[in-house]
Amino acid sequence: MYISNYRPRSEAVFLLFLVFLLCCIARLFLIQFFRSAYLTGIANKQHNLFVELEPLRGIIYDTNLKPQTINIPMDSLFASANAIKDKDKETIIRQLSQILNINQAYLRDRLYRKKSFIWLVRKLTPGQSQAVKKLNIKGLGFLKESKRFYPNSYLASQIIGFAGLDNVGLEGIEVYYDKYLKGEAGWAVFLRDARQKKLGPLEEKMVLPKNGYDVVLTIDEVIQYIAERELDKVFKTYHARGASIIVMDPHTGAIIALANRPTYDLNVHSKVSKDRIRNRAICDLFEPGSVFKIVTASAALEEKKVNEEDKFFCENGSYRVASHILHDHQPHGWLTFREVIKQSSNIGTTKVAQMLGPDIVFRYIKLFGFGSKLEVDLPGEVSGITKGPRQWSKISIAAIPIGQEVGVTTLQLVSAISAIANGGQLMKPYIVKEIRDKQGETIKKFSPVMVRKVISLDTAARIKKILTGAVEEGTGRLAKINGFSAAGKTGTAQKLEPNGTYSHNKFVASFIGFAPAEDPIIAIVVTVDEPHPYYFGGVVAAPVFKNVAGDSIRYLRTNQLVNESIALNEPR
Amino acid sequence: MRLSKFLSTVIFVTCLCLLYVYQHTEIFRLAYVGQKKEAQFQDSLDKNSILRYNRESNASLVSIGNKISGYADFQMPDGYRLVRLMPSREGLKLNQEAANRQTLLSRLFGIKRQAEAKTINP
Repeated sequence: MYISNYRPRSEAVFLLFLVFLLCCIARLFLIQFFRSAYLTGIANKQHNLFVELEPLRGIIYDTNLKPQTINIPMDSLFASANAIKDKDKETIIRQLSQILNINQAYLRDRLYRKKSFIWLVRKLTPGQSQAVKKLNIKGLGFLKESKRFYPNSYLASQIIGFAGLDNVGLEGIEVYYDKYLKGEAGWAVFLRDARQKKLGPLEEKMVLPKNGYDVVLTIDEVIQYIAERELDKVFKTYHARGASIIVMDPHTGAIIALANRPTYDLNVHSKVSKDRIRNRAICDLFEPGSVFKIVTASAALEEKKVNEEDKFFCENGSYRVASHILHDHQPHGWLTFREVIKQSSNIGTTKVAQMLGPDIVFRYIKLFGFGSKLEVDLPGEVSGITKGPRQWSKISIAAIPIGQEVGVTTLQLVSAISAIANGGQLMKPYIVKEIRDKQGETIKKFSPVMVRKVISLDTAARIKKILTGAVEEGTGRLAKINGFSAAGKTGTAQKLEPNGTYSHNKFVASFIGFAPAEDPIIAIVVTVDEPHPYYFGGVVAAPVFKNVAGDSIRYLRTNQLVNESIALNEPR
Repeated sequence: MRLSKFLSTVIFVTCLCLLYVYQHTEIFRLAYVGQKKEAQFQDSLDKNSILRYNRESNASLVSIGNKISGYADFQMPDGYRLVRLMPSREGLKLNQEAANRQTLLSRLFGIKRQAEAKTINP
């Protein structure tokens, strides 16, 4: 059987098909050349879904790689207000308000806007998210967003800081190292099915997000806890207005712990006042009082103007300088230079400063890093206040050497005492050890930086001995640690009243020191603002030093022993 | 051209087209399966990060410290709260002799046994 037998009929069919084909070709031609761009656009909109891929924010670790931050994916609720019928809106508002515990007016304002996408609540708790999903409301949708959580709640809160709703750093390390932590967003174009749902694995194009780098701090979680625990005790016991503590490795300038009171829980930062968020240890200035005598003492020994056994008459507790009468907290007669520092005599120190002259005293104040920023890698550091010798009044020589008429930060004090502890080198304080990627490869490493040589090794050793005496038998006896030697200096500074006079009931109690005295491994500064009823640095701040230094040294030594035994037992 | 040849060509082309369509439906079916699995995987990852957070926050020094200080308000037991237990065949038994014994001090200052602990046989 051949087609040729039916030729006329087959020709008619063929012709019909040919005409149909020609029509199709003509239509296709029109579509291809005249409506192509328009139709491609519509098709792309229907088939493709552009999605921004959020990068994972970097983790902040302590020095032993314990995570201080964790990213948890959370559901964020949005509404396509256009897709919700007006008659259903009031019911939805009532239901959501109950589950999400938000104001109905807020929801009403959002749901009645003529928009196809509007956020209702971002980063819901898993419970809230489940409850909303159960309602199965058409026009409501969820998007995954990662939320920053802080497993240690208030620990090192003023150092770590926090990131906001869009995962942008707002405080502390989170803002200072934001460019490393935030990463780079990626994007993808996914295929969509007829129901406009994303077909997950079928992507047209994709640029992967670059996750943020991890930041490793110099902070040791355990020492930070010890410092916070003790600071908390003193803050509560003495009903203080504020308190700060910094623990530093004197040889490197690495900050091992830094805490302030009052503090706050990082997981509920949005409800906290600015006063609690402020990092007082680097942002607040105060007159240091007697702890500042270490500068005068160092200058005197370095300039070889005095030696430890030189005697000074301390005027039995009352000494006139210009129009001002200077007092000691307890009257002294003749004291050696060593005893002047040990007993914290204001008159003795003033007489030493008068021997040195304003220029030398000021030079050493600057050498120890007061009056200028130490460039620590934390936001908000202030430089402090120091007056040049030309601006000194007649009584400045009796005020500045004993820690009045100057404004310093707790950080500057810990750097200064570290310079004495490490043999005379002022180290740049730093809080980030390294920045690494997700595979653990180091991207940037921060090494100790010596700012300048302040005093000689010999002077540092002599000051150490004097400060050891201050703890052993001077004003800092309550800082004596069982089993270790310690060196330090107490300070009790009167606060300035708004009218410019010194207050008689508002003080800043402080203690600066290091331990063990002969080979220091930690330097500590404790400041307590307005403690009541006791206010002496030797009574309020010295015990904090004792407890923190004792526990920290025991911990560090145990840690060292454990690490050594692990290293010994490692298979070779 | 023979009709049979024409028909077989049509059938062959149709089969090819069907195969092409089948392949596409398979791609989409597998995409749905993949999507479902990806959602499950994502869900597991989410749960994992929540568990990790819970573990970290429970194991944190702050949490342990709070728990310890929560138990730290214990009282030292007074004399009358102390009982002596003796091992016996039935288990631990209250030593009646020791429990009834009053010391000279307790007689003088009136510290008397006010409560007794009773052993429970296992």
